[in-house]
Amino acid sequence: MTLITQGAEAHLYKTTFLSPSIPAALKIRPSKPYRHPILDRRLTRQRVLQEARCLARLVREGVNVPGVLGVDWDLNSVHSLKGVEKGEKGVGAGAWILMEWIPGCVVRVVISRWEKYLSSRSHSQGNGSVQAEKEEEEAKILALLRRVGAAVGILHKAGVVHGDLTTSNLILRGTGADADAEEEWKDGQEPNLEGDVVLIDFGLASQSIQDEDRAVDLYVLERAFGSTHPRTEPLFGEVLEGYRASYRGSGSVLKRLEDVRMRGRKRSMLG
Amino acid sequence: MSPPLLDTIHLSHLPPSMPVHVALYRDVQNAPYLRQQLMSANADFEYAFIDASTVLSRTHLLSAVFRAVNDYMNGRLKSRNVHSEIVFSLSPATNIAESFRKFGITDATKDLLVVKVSVTPEITHESVAAHLGQHVEGTPVPFDDETLSTISDIAKIKKAYKLGALNTAPPNQANGTHDAGMRRLELSVLGAIALRGAT
Amino acid sequence: MIAIGLESSANKIGVGIILHPDDGSTPQVLANVRHTYVTPPGEGFLPKDTARHHRAWAVKLVKKALREARITPKDVDCICFTKGPGMGAPLQSAAITARMLSLLWGKQLVGVNHCVGHIEMGRLITGSTNPVVLYVSGGNTQVIAYSSQRYRIFGETLDIAVGNCLDRFARTLCISNDPAPGYNIEQLAKKGKKLVDLPYTVKGMDISMSGILAAIDGLAVQYGLDGEWNDAEEEAASDDSESAKPTRADLCFSLQETVYSMLVEITERAMAHVGSKEVLIVGGVGCNERLQEMMGIMARDRGGTVHATDERYCIDNGIMIAQAGLLAYKSGSTTPLKDSTCTQRFRTDEVFVKWRD
Repeated sequence: MTLITQGAEAHLYKTTFLSPSIPAALKIRPSKPYRHPILDRRLTRQRVLQEARCLARLVREGVNVPGVLGVDWDLNSVHSLKGVEKGEKGVGAGAWILMEWIPGCVVRVVISRWEKYLSSRSHSQGNGSVQAEKEEEEAKILALLRRVGAAVGILHKAGVVHGDLTTSNLILRGTGADADAEEEWKDGQEPNLEGDVVLIDFGLASQSIQDEDRAVDLYVLERAFGSTHPRTEPLFGEVLEGYRASYRGSGSVLKRLEDVRMRGRKRSMLG
Repeated sequence: MSPPLLDTIHLSHLPPSMPVHVALYRDVQNAPYLRQQLMSANADFEYAFIDASTVLSRTHLLSAVFRAVNDYMNGRLKSRNVHSEIVFSLSPATNIAESFRKFGITDATKDLLVVKVSVTPEITHESVAAHLGQHVEGTPVPFDDETLSTISDIAKIKKAYKLGALNTAPPNQANGTHDAGMRRLELSVLGAIALRGAT
Repeated sequence: MIAIGLESSANKIGVGIILHPDDGSTPQVLANVRHTYVTPPGEGFLPKDTARHHRAWAVKLVKKALREARITPKDVDCICFTKGPGMGAPLQSAAITARMLSLLWGKQLVGVNHCVGHIEMGRLITGSTNPVVLYVSGGNTQVIAYSSQRYRIFGETLDIAVGNCLDRFARTLCISNDPAPGYNIEQLAKKGKKLVDLPYTVKGMDISMSGILAAIDGLAVQYGLDGEWNDAEEEAASDDSESAKPTRADLCFSLQETVYSMLVEITERAMAHVGSKEVLIVGGVGCNERLQEMMGIMARDRGGTVHATDERYCIDNGIMIAQAGLLAYKSGSTTPLKDSTCTQRFRTDEVFVKWRD
């Protein structure tokens, strides 16, 4: 079991489900000793279930999210998945969700690779015959951005808002043998931009069909995009185009997005 | 009687001392007898007897086993023992009797899945194989997805999991292939098993 | 250099004098005096009455501060005052006093953001260099971190401030406002045992308090715990721990446990977000020992530390205004007389923090 990320709320591990040949993601929410034990159990249970229910529902609706393989919402469980591997009884190690492993690369990395690839190319070339090739390459990134927008649109159509959309919470699902090729990328190599966009990390997700909530979801993504990928930010319009085309009702959300932008959501969170 | 093809499996995250033994039979002749042993709580027949037509795949069955054993280890069983809990764990609903009606062995069962967990050291591959070989009258077949795919009754499974509306077989459609549809059905079923009883 | 600071944004008026030695050694607090407008149990402070109190005390406190500091107006380099945020009428007391002193003494003015005052004083007293700041008081609830010349707000309350929530519940229970309603809730909460279920509203790094206040007020009314005290009844109830009926102490305990968990949670989220291991708690609610304890457990779990100050600096005071004002003054910022107004709304992230890297 390898630790992938350690956030404020949860630890994410790569592990297996049932058999060593089925990779899985394990999200453990450890007990928070600062809060009253009754409150701790209540909140942990609520959140684990909220996230698992959201994912299970989205899978049924055909939205590209990791499926739920197992859940333990009881902080008092004495049998911890982590403990077994270490050969010990991990008492109170936390409640958990075991999820389908999505092979591939987070969109944040894909885009930054693309940005690097682009700048390495612009250094080495500069004649007119490259123009057509350049447009072809740009068409690929535009298509990816539209798929990102469509993925968010389909999520919203299913009645869920993500609550924390960033390019780190989107995975470009890899296919074939090199599906998990995160490390095997050489500077300046053309990155793969093909594949399904899968939404992950529903820890802050909730059910909503309100234009306001949907628009805030888009706004958070837009802000994250701007701060993480300043060079690609001018293309963010493609994400919104993909969103617009993905479901009826997207129009009024995009209109609302303009209000949310004007309001600036009061604060500068991503600065 | 032919020797059973008993599969002994070590599930990830469960203690290595607790392997799970699974056998799959076709053309079972004595389902009423086996069911009777369960009804009379004959301790020698503490198995999960499952109607194999309600099971989609290896992963489907084993995830129910995983849930049941995890609940067993945490002292959270809702039914008599870990084996009845496996049948119960296949169900998306909290009604135990109903779960047995839907997923358990019936007198009409022809294709049968049998599961036994080594909850004590005396339960071994050999002991389970011998006992089943003696008492199950049927044709042992491999417990694999290929075999199960010829047995599982998709319509029945969708109904049991209230997934009737789920689009599973749209070949040549934008949304993907038959495989993708089945994968989605399986993931939906796994989610339902994992979340049973969540309030 | 020496700065005098005047603060009157809520129900306290404070005057502080700080010295920044020319050799660059640690600043010294020369004086820090304060007077609080205390209202009877069950009553909050109204802007008009509070402002009257402040006007009556302003000159007395300035004189007292100069005496304690053993300086004369000649020694003062600049006069700092709270520009906002806060309650309109009380805010004006410090602003008017500062303008008067500026004209009288011929010294320059520096308008200070109240929240930035808390942060700078907290940094000075605790020596924490770049913490995530939880600013919790009667009027504000914010999680703040510094980034390129601004104190940026990562999370905040979407409705009422945490101190306001506590104060208003103290009024429901008719708890004394002396020395402070929050202090008395804290003492009562120590006797509480039973945790009652309250809403818990965290949205990302933001929180909401109004639902919690409505719920706990409702419980107080339901169990007949609002209004006048009956000590004998309270004693009897606390002896009977099996009873399903919560006591006043249980309600205070539950309110604190719930609300402080929310605060610690959003602080932790901000720490993870910016990759910081230090927390600084400032503002009046920051004196609360249970909040400090919970924050400490969280910070230790993350391999970090928590910094907090005692009531001299946590609760609104003049010295923090002097400290933040003098930092601004030394970096070249002053406030011309014609701009020396005050404002009820003044966000922490509007201030250009010239004095930090």
